[in-house]
Amino acid sequence: MTGTGPAGFEAYWRATLEGLARYPAAPEMEKLPLRSTPFATLYGVRLTSVGPYRLFGYLSIPTGTGPFPAIYYPPKYQSVLEIIPQGTANLQRSRYITFSLAARGQRNADTPYAAMFPGLLTEGIDDAPSYIFRGIVADSLRGLELLTTRPELDRARVVVSGNDIALITAALAEGATHVVAAPALFHAAAELAPKTTAYPLEEINDYLRLHPARAEAVRRTLAYYELRAFAPRVTATTLLMAGAPGTLLDGRALGPLVSALKGTATVHESEQSLYKDGLYAERWMASQCGIADVQSILPEHWRK
Amino acid sequence: MARDDAMPTAKKPDDFDAFWEDVLGQASAIPLEPELVPDPLRTSDDVEVFQAFYTSIDRVRVAAWYCRPAKRAERTPAIMFLPGYQMDPPIPKEWARKGYIALSVAPRGKLRSMRQFNPGYPNLLTHNIVDRHTYAYRGFYVDTWRGIDVLLSRPEVDPARIGVTGSSQGGGLTITTAAMRSEVRAASAGAPYLCGYMDAVELTHTYPYEEINDYLRLHPERRRDVESTVAYFDGISFADRITCPIIVNIGLQDNVCPPETGYALFDRIGARDKQLYPYDGHGHDAGRARHTAVVDRFFAQHLLDGAART
Repeated sequence: MTGTGPAGFEAYWRATLEGLARYPAAPEMEKLPLRSTPFATLYGVRLTSVGPYRLFGYLSIPTGTGPFPAIYYPPKYQSVLEIIPQGTANLQRSRYITFSLAARGQRNADTPYAAMFPGLLTEGIDDAPSYIFRGIVADSLRGLELLTTRPELDRARVVVSGNDIALITAALAEGATHVVAAPALFHAAAELAPKTTAYPLEEINDYLRLHPARAEAVRRTLAYYELRAFAPRVTATTLLMAGAPGTLLDGRALGPLVSALKGTATVHESEQSLYKDGLYAERWMASQCGIADVQSILPEHWRK
Repeated sequence: MARDDAMPTAKKPDDFDAFWEDVLGQASAIPLEPELVPDPLRTSDDVEVFQAFYTSIDRVRVAAWYCRPAKRAERTPAIMFLPGYQMDPPIPKEWARKGYIALSVAPRGKLRSMRQFNPGYPNLLTHNIVDRHTYAYRGFYVDTWRGIDVLLSRPEVDPARIGVTGSSQGGGLTITTAAMRSEVRAASAGAPYLCGYMDAVELTHTYPYEEINDYLRLHPERRRDVESTVAYFDGISFADRITCPIIVNIGLQDNVCPPETGYALFDRIGARDKQLYPYDGHGHDAGRARHTAVVDRFFAQHLLDGAART
């Protein structure tokens, strides 16, 4: 890795990958008739990650012969696991394989460990080796690994779509050809947190207010998760969903990250409309994956 | 879409009021047992944060966040914030910074309120959907209504200045709470969910409403039972009971809660002082970036100092 990571950055993540490799995924797939449709079959998937810890995901396979492009939804920063993101047309599942993963602590993967929101971001944050997100990143890597074993998959069209974890996953794992990422957790977090009172970064402020002596340890841990440090390893074509101009994570704030990405990057600054931003991302993914009739897989109220 | 498209098909059941009176009667027999636990991790110089707990119908223990301005009047206005469908109920510090005591409720099944009831997500929307007496939202609704009782139990809350707000599911819950709790003096509902259920599942095919389509695909013979149940829980059925000032914002490209249902709801709201804010070019955000200032002004007018007291 290149210069922006702390000393030991490479060793930290190499050890994480080695730890993950010690455990086979041992996947179990179970068809879920309730969520299966004429155009896609949904499976509940259980698989093992580092720990060892048993995870859960929703895998949707389109009806037909494929190969199909895929969208991998790595763990989000919320307790709930969605099949596809709220508001996405269910018909997305007719054209893409989709796989959404609950990391340790999230719903369906919340025993024996149940995560709190807010709370997860600072859980163990004063100790980089045992920081909770080390396991969560490993979980995400395991999810992508499982997805890429699917015979129905077109390996030339694999989109990883999510928050910071999407970008980190694309940096550390083989298989992502495209990334859609909306950074919220780990871009310059130590510098940006004091400038906001909004969660999730407010969690860091809360933590340091109660534990000021741990500030340096927190800064050290966050350095291992700094997106700019991962960026030189991201070769996937990337769409960064930035905040609206003038907000904490706007295009200007993400500038150093964009510059550091190895692959081609596009930045979309939020238009403060879930319709406009969502439509942009859906069209971008479709164009990157060679899906010409994106209209047919958009939500009804987004079609023109 | 044209506003004329907004024709709800759901009919309010004849025994709607009796059904809910019976539910409220059951709930009233359960002691509230409110508890506030200081949370030093989340407390700052300007906002005191507590983890709140109370007991609701079926003796389910419900969690919430309770925030109050560190500097406040002896009697302070309050806002109850209600969560979206998959949202983890937030710590409402921002409301406290605006001068309100704020309660953010986690109804049963939500994180921190799922020990006794946990149908999961997806699944909440269709949990026992063929039986109004055990449908998931029966208890879920009551949990939110009893949040008002938590506020009323606090000596620092001005009982004459209580507002309620939320968006998406929180918008739908705002509607039902404003309808069922006369103590609510102002309400702001964004992109209201749980309004026009059976129209919504025809108008859009996105989750969470898609849960109902999934259910009916597997169990088509249960459609009539489903329709019968949700009529008792449809925000449109509650709307004529609302008398407090209320504002509603919707996005005309909302892919989650169809704007047609928002219009239909608004037309049924009984309050004289009501205002609809439709935002073209917006989806499920329902124009939040612009509308936040509208909400702030609305509550300031009705709840902050200078508001008429009774």
